[in-house]
Amino acid sequence: MASNIEKGIAFVLAIVVGGTTSFQLYKDWGTSGLDNNVTKLLLGLMAFGCVLVILACFGVLGGGA
Amino acid sequence: MAVSAINASHEAVHARYEAVDSLYRETRDIRLLGFVLFLCSDVVLFSMFIFAYLYLRNSVPNWPPITKGGVQLPRFDVAFACINSCVLFGSGATMHFAMESWKHLNKAAFNLWMIATIALGIGFLSGQAYEYQHVPVTWTGSTMGASFFTLTGMHGFHVFIGVIYLITLYIQANRGVYTGSKYFGLTAGTLYWHFVDVIWVALFYLFYLM
Repeated sequence: MASNIEKGIAFVLAIVVGGTTSFQLYKDWGTSGLDNNVTKLLLGLMAFGCVLVILACFGVLGGGA
Repeated sequence: MAVSAINASHEAVHARYEAVDSLYRETRDIRLLGFVLFLCSDVVLFSMFIFAYLYLRNSVPNWPPITKGGVQLPRFDVAFACINSCVLFGSGATMHFAMESWKHLNKAAFNLWMIATIALGIGFLSGQAYEYQHVPVTWTGSTMGASFFTLTGMHGFHVFIGVIYLITLYIQANRGVYTGSKYFGLTAGTLYWHFVDVIWVALFYLFYLM
């Protein structure tokens, strides 16, 4: 039960953070320069991390634990 | 936000970014390259430990491994790790907002986002400390525990250094060290913080989801 509540909280957080990160990535897509390009790469990977969290919340990854 | 407004905003920031003397511009580019190479060296460091972990993991028939006493170790707590991961990813988002606020000369918003980032970084470290107390393995009891504590500990140390780095940047920014066109330290801090977030993506997958 407690685990499901934790997963629910994590799911909401992942949606908010993933959505925000993806939107920032979209906004910064047109920027150039080494720092901006590295930032875009890292923002994309962070959004991917949020996808992993969402999949874990549904038990698709992590053995459904 | 309309695409034209976004482009206009980028152009204003870029114009300020370029409005510096040639000496500063040259040293900024060199420092930036050096910092990115430093991050690459850190990727190599983590990669070595990750490959060692994968080697150990594949050298036993079962994972989580069975101890000498015949006990099957349980998996790590995914639910709590998900929340802690979101805290760290959220700090990456707030750090990005802080950097954007600085670029757009909004110091009040910059201070707010920086404090949020530092708070979330401390929150992540607190979560990790809590997990260390409740995790079902020990450092010396199994390869699983040794790998877990080594890799997450190394990452946690990076986050700890990052929090100190962010506090330093916050103080410096409020003492006028950086301006609207000269803010390399903030750029480096943002890249470093995003980097520790992304390393956690790999560790989260390897230890909790794989």
